[in-house]
Amino acid sequence: MSTTDRSRREFLRAATAVGGGLILGGGLLGCGERDAAAGTATAAAKDPTPRHGGRLRFGIIDGDLSGNLDAHKPAGIGSTIRGFAIYSKLWEWSEEMTPRLALAEEAETNADATTWTIRLRKGLEFHNGKTITADDVIFSTLRLTDPELASPYRHLVSGIDRSRIEKLDERTVRINMKEGHGFLPLADAWVNFGGIVPPDYHPVINPVGAGPYRIKDFKPGQRALLTRFENYYKPSKPYTDELEIIEFKDQTSRYAALVGGQVDLVYGLAPEQTALFRNNPRASLQVSEAHRWQGFSLNLKKTPFDDVRVRQAFRLIADREELIRRVLNGQGRLANDLYSPRDPTFLATLPQRHQDLDRAKALLREAGHERLSLELVASAAGSAAAVAFAEQARRAGVELKIRQVDLATFNGPQMRDWQISTYEGMGESYLSTAARTDGPISASNRTNFSDERFDELFRTAVQRTDVQARVPLAHEMQQIQHERGGLLIWAYSNVLDGVSPRVGGISPEHSHFSTWRFENFWLRDAQPATTA
Amino acid sequence: MSAAETDAPVLKGRGIPGWLPWFLKRLLSGLGAVLASSVIVFMATQALPSDPARVILGPEASEESIHLLQRQLGLDRPVAVQYADWLGRLLRGGLGHSLDSQVPVTDLISARFGNTLVLLGLVALFSIPLSLAIGVALALRRDSRLDRAAVTVLVLLKALPSFALAIGLISLLSTSVFSLLPAVSLLDPERSPLSQLQYLVLPTLTLVLSGLPYLTRLVRGSMIEALEAEYVTLARLRGVPERRVVWRHALPNALIPAIQGIALMLSVLFGGTLIVEVVFTYPGIGSTLNAAVQVRDLPVIQAVVLIVTAGVVAINLVADLLTVLLTPRLRTAGGVRLNVRRTRRVFRDAQNARLVKTHS
Repeated sequence: MSTTDRSRREFLRAATAVGGGLILGGGLLGCGERDAAAGTATAAAKDPTPRHGGRLRFGIIDGDLSGNLDAHKPAGIGSTIRGFAIYSKLWEWSEEMTPRLALAEEAETNADATTWTIRLRKGLEFHNGKTITADDVIFSTLRLTDPELASPYRHLVSGIDRSRIEKLDERTVRINMKEGHGFLPLADAWVNFGGIVPPDYHPVINPVGAGPYRIKDFKPGQRALLTRFENYYKPSKPYTDELEIIEFKDQTSRYAALVGGQVDLVYGLAPEQTALFRNNPRASLQVSEAHRWQGFSLNLKKTPFDDVRVRQAFRLIADREELIRRVLNGQGRLANDLYSPRDPTFLATLPQRHQDLDRAKALLREAGHERLSLELVASAAGSAAAVAFAEQARRAGVELKIRQVDLATFNGPQMRDWQISTYEGMGESYLSTAARTDGPISASNRTNFSDERFDELFRTAVQRTDVQARVPLAHEMQQIQHERGGLLIWAYSNVLDGVSPRVGGISPEHSHFSTWRFENFWLRDAQPATTA
Repeated sequence: MSAAETDAPVLKGRGIPGWLPWFLKRLLSGLGAVLASSVIVFMATQALPSDPARVILGPEASEESIHLLQRQLGLDRPVAVQYADWLGRLLRGGLGHSLDSQVPVTDLISARFGNTLVLLGLVALFSIPLSLAIGVALALRRDSRLDRAAVTVLVLLKALPSFALAIGLISLLSTSVFSLLPAVSLLDPERSPLSQLQYLVLPTLTLVLSGLPYLTRLVRGSMIEALEAEYVTLARLRGVPERRVVWRHALPNALIPAIQGIALMLSVLFGGTLIVEVVFTYPGIGSTLNAAVQVRDLPVIQAVVLIVTAGVVAINLVADLLTVLLTPRLRTAGGVRLNVRRTRRVFRDAQNARLVKTHS
């Protein structure tokens, strides 16, 4: 089965290259008008002064979700991206993927992270002209954490004591954590989904925020049209008059739109598309060395993975270099079954695991699983990795039958019952990723990893605001994960974006979000707005 | 949908066409089919793994949030209650709200249906006259070099999958060779699709080219059949001019399989053309339905299926009516069984359309 899969995949990949090549061929051979336009853009290309005006068109792919405009309950990546345009938060992501102050001018936590005192900047305004005050921060916090809202991200900030949010003055709020349990990664957990909104907010009929753009028209599954917010808190930003977020269902179609000049910026290209950007005058590839982790979940509650030797064996079966080459088209870096490599507490001293089939076979033999046949459940995004890994496993005498499921099933109630499944996640700080993934408060722990010592260390570490005090705790936690955890993490992947030469103000980052900083982008051929 | 007996003399006395009671019965059974399909689809969505609450909230949601949303969406109630609720709302004129995007279903799908209808209209506008003209022309030049070459081209075109055709057209007309048209149909939702024809050309062309071989060969085959029929020979022997033989005697009979073929094509197009919609990012109903199924967005699935079923029933009804009106034996039937279904089945097989001898 996997041979067929492999050849089909390789055929598809070749077809993408040929199809894209044809489209690109047009780019090279092509056509007067657009090249002239591109020429004008190139002429202005090196002028680094931002210009105002124009409409920036951003192409996204959000699978089958149409999504919504809810600041606190975004469904899918499209909703999150729209949220970045419409809402401002107390923090924003820095280029290093750490939280940095945004609407807040100060956010202080006490020594054990049990209280957070947050002060807003002066003179902040919502889209509707209302001044942003402490009451709005309190309302937004209560809305996000409201059980009745059923936000999927509520548990990330579940440590907030809803009954003890204090208003100290018009711009200052004190947030207390429940039962004296400090929670250091609050900002990390809050920054994506913590839009500050006024009390008359409604996600459908009144989606008001303080982000760089305000919503003008939303056609779910098709596009969102947004207009510039004149009183945005960052001076003279945003630059373009309008922002259009356009949804595509297909990578090839989106690439054709990018080189055809129908969109200016696309987020999250497929690795096999990178070749299309070589010597391409119509669009350039932007590689952000983010640390999105790519892996497999080994379920500790299921045989054979309840035996640590089998988990170790699987981690030795993986030929990580080959996976990076084949699945990521080289757009990634080697991982050692740990996440958050850019965190100051990352444990980089552990020896890197490499493929060792003899050792893997020996471990399986010891565990009494010489002949193993398992079902590997793959999401659409993980199917390439599943196919490549299944081939590697066969060399160790393990048969992996791949079952690809749709997103609804992949995130469905069975997700904690599968023996082995594909798994990937955003590259955030260490504690924040643990909180989302295999830590004691995770709601989506596919590995069912639960370790008394690890959990104890986690609960202590989230109360240590001092990095140096946190290092030994985090190191021990990672040692445990490396030794007996349920994650096989084989790479940190890059975020690949496509950028038209028209677009200025964009550069690669270590975050996932270089194309989501809508307030920074400007169009080189923009004409100053003529409207009053 | 079974055949209807008509009592022609009585009806004729009242001045009602003989086919009308049959038509009304078909209309009623069509409504029944629409309702039945809504029940089937509702049940089928229940059989899918996972549910809307989980999809909407994503992988990180806690069980508590999921159960709460299930309750808020009414998904924890028995299926029969959910269906009754939906039907009740429908009868009051509402289609509910999308579970995914929370906007009213009507807002979500009306523009999409509009876009699909515009595309369907354009495809029909080009493919019907084209297939009739080419089909008749080829039938009249049967077995000539032109005919053989044209049939080969049609077979090749038919064998080409529509996504390959679409990508080929993009390369030819948008990117690689010429740069005449936008590669992707990013319709501005604030304007009528008809005012943005540049976005409609490639999807229309793709669909016309992929539908044309079927229709043309159908017309050609049935025209050849008709030209060989006894009544045509008789007409020729009687000295009727050839032009009149072709246009007045042969063509009306040859049209019947074509009408059924066109109905089939339009029914398929009305349900959306997923592949073309994906390749061109055309905002039609096919991708909306596909996405709604993936996300388990029940109100959207139900609404789209309801309208598509109703549309398909209507298209077939019109086609059957035209068939009846074009078939004198059926049209004037006095005590003749109006078994259009059987007629249609037989007609659809162009090779065996020998019973088109109803011309009297």
